[in-house]
Amino acid sequence: MRSPAAITSPRRIPEFFPVCELSPISRRNAVKAALAFAASPFLRYVPTYAADHAEVSEIAPGVFVHQGRYEMQSPENRGDMANACFVVGNESVAVIDTLGSAVAGSELRNAIRTVTSKPIRYVINTHMHPDHVFGNAAFKEDNPIYVGHLKLARGLASRAERYLAINKQMLGDNAFQGIEIILPTLAVNGTETLDLGGRSLVLETQPTAHTDNDMTITDTATDTLFLGDLLFSVHVPTLDGSIKGWLALLDDLSRKQAARVVPGHGPKAMELPGALEPEQRYLAAIVSDVRRLIKEGKTLEDATRVAGFSERDAWKLFDQYHVRNVTAAFAELEWE
Amino acid sequence: MPALRSLVYLRRVAALATAAFVLLAPAAKAEEDVWPELRQQTFGDRAIKAEDGVVVLEIPGTAEDASLVPLTVRVPPSVTQNLKSLTLIVDKNPDPLVAALSFGPAAGSGGERSFSTRIRIDSFSHVRAVLETEDGTLHMATKFVAAAGGCGAMQAKDPDAESVDLGKMIVKTFPPALDSNPIWSGLVMIKHPNSNGMQLNVNTANIIPARFVKEVTVKRDGEIVFQMQSTFSISTNPNFRFTFGRGADNSLDVAIKDTDGAVFTAQSAPSGS
Repeated sequence: MRSPAAITSPRRIPEFFPVCELSPISRRNAVKAALAFAASPFLRYVPTYAADHAEVSEIAPGVFVHQGRYEMQSPENRGDMANACFVVGNESVAVIDTLGSAVAGSELRNAIRTVTSKPIRYVINTHMHPDHVFGNAAFKEDNPIYVGHLKLARGLASRAERYLAINKQMLGDNAFQGIEIILPTLAVNGTETLDLGGRSLVLETQPTAHTDNDMTITDTATDTLFLGDLLFSVHVPTLDGSIKGWLALLDDLSRKQAARVVPGHGPKAMELPGALEPEQRYLAAIVSDVRRLIKEGKTLEDATRVAGFSERDAWKLFDQYHVRNVTAAFAELEWE
Repeated sequence: MPALRSLVYLRRVAALATAAFVLLAPAAKAEEDVWPELRQQTFGDRAIKAEDGVVVLEIPGTAEDASLVPLTVRVPPSVTQNLKSLTLIVDKNPDPLVAALSFGPAAGSGGERSFSTRIRIDSFSHVRAVLETEDGTLHMATKFVAAAGGCGAMQAKDPDAESVDLGKMIVKTFPPALDSNPIWSGLVMIKHPNSNGMQLNVNTANIIPARFVKEVTVKRDGEIVFQMQSTFSISTNPNFRFTFGRGADNSLDVAIKDTDGAVFTAQSAPSGS
């Protein structure tokens, strides 16, 4: 299943990448970054984290979940802001998402090692976002097969420089240390089954929704469905794909049967279909407001001031992501 | 096995991006004021009245998405002269000229006039709107925007879906709320990548060649509202919102040319829809 290790190519790889050094900076983040820098101006990276391990819970036999914080990345949280999971089979272990830094990924790996010494054969990424893939480097020593949606590689590679720049700035030098872009070595298109010994994981690529490279995973032994960022709970959803596609997919998912689902952001385990409802309500509110505003001849700026604000008190991080969601939704819906 | 080969490319691209970032990121651009030279190149020795209230620039101080920053220029109703031209500039963009409009007889007067679009901003920069009124005076409004990475960043969220519709256009007109207001507004949208030669095609690991909208002509009932020269500082799927003077039919004809020489045309649906 591994792709051939080397394919020689006459194609030339460009030596120049346009550099856009910085990302949009909020004053809070600028202050955070400045403080982090001031606190440790001359310290080299010291891997004191090596003894630490991420806190995990066994939500079903052999299924472990670490719950990320409802925060933006910062030097304090080291990119530990999404849920990360692992499933232990008779023969091997599969990791599902790796948190937002090599440091946090390493703590996840330590947690796995407190539970089992079986080899970590698969590192699965549910989609391309840094808070789910930037810990991939922590598993290099296990020489795993990295697994993702066929379109994950394109999505992540084309955003790599920007993601690195943003995260370097927001995480600070210490937490940024060791981060590498590691793309899938097994690209999934449709359905793929991974055997862990005595249990298998069924991977299914999904149409454009949260991103254009979302993939869901089912652990057949416990009927646990890992939804990645197709499901946000408590943490406001973030739209980087298609709002219409996302709502359509949620409609399909709500008819699925599963003993439990694990969101990309939210509690460690939830139940269908209730788990999806707040997110469906949030996205539907944006769609309905934006459609009405477009019909009234209003502009994108008008929409960013009013659309979906009825949802403000229902979510954490609303102020950080909502305007961007409305912007993306408007740019999609104005073509209807 | 093209899929596998492209995966290998992608991994190289990712490794190179990491390397390029590590090598280049610490060398921040020197903070220099490029405006005096830009001003000389664009307007020569002509006097420019800054912030005199004739032109107002609205743009967020911090952009949520640097590849899609909404910008609006307003000329308040107290300004009664006809308008001659409007130049939009982002000091620190690779090509600082965003767009240069020259207004025609159908541009209208007798109410608030405005022009809106969405732009890319490559690094922290001053953004300027320079308006020329009929008497030949230049008026300027300036804002500073904290936004970066808009030019190299790939904006398409679903590139496969986007590439299908290139050239699709929507043209709409909106009558004023009050019949006594002689100013209508119009909207022109075109599906176009407006690629700036700075985005990476990760399937081939080559830079995507520049292809962008360079000329837009909007006519109302056959008379020119404006003619615009534009650059890749306009966002993907260019979007223009503008005012025009009331005419007999108020129907808009739009012609758009891109740098590949392709011409796209569209008309507004009749009677203000």
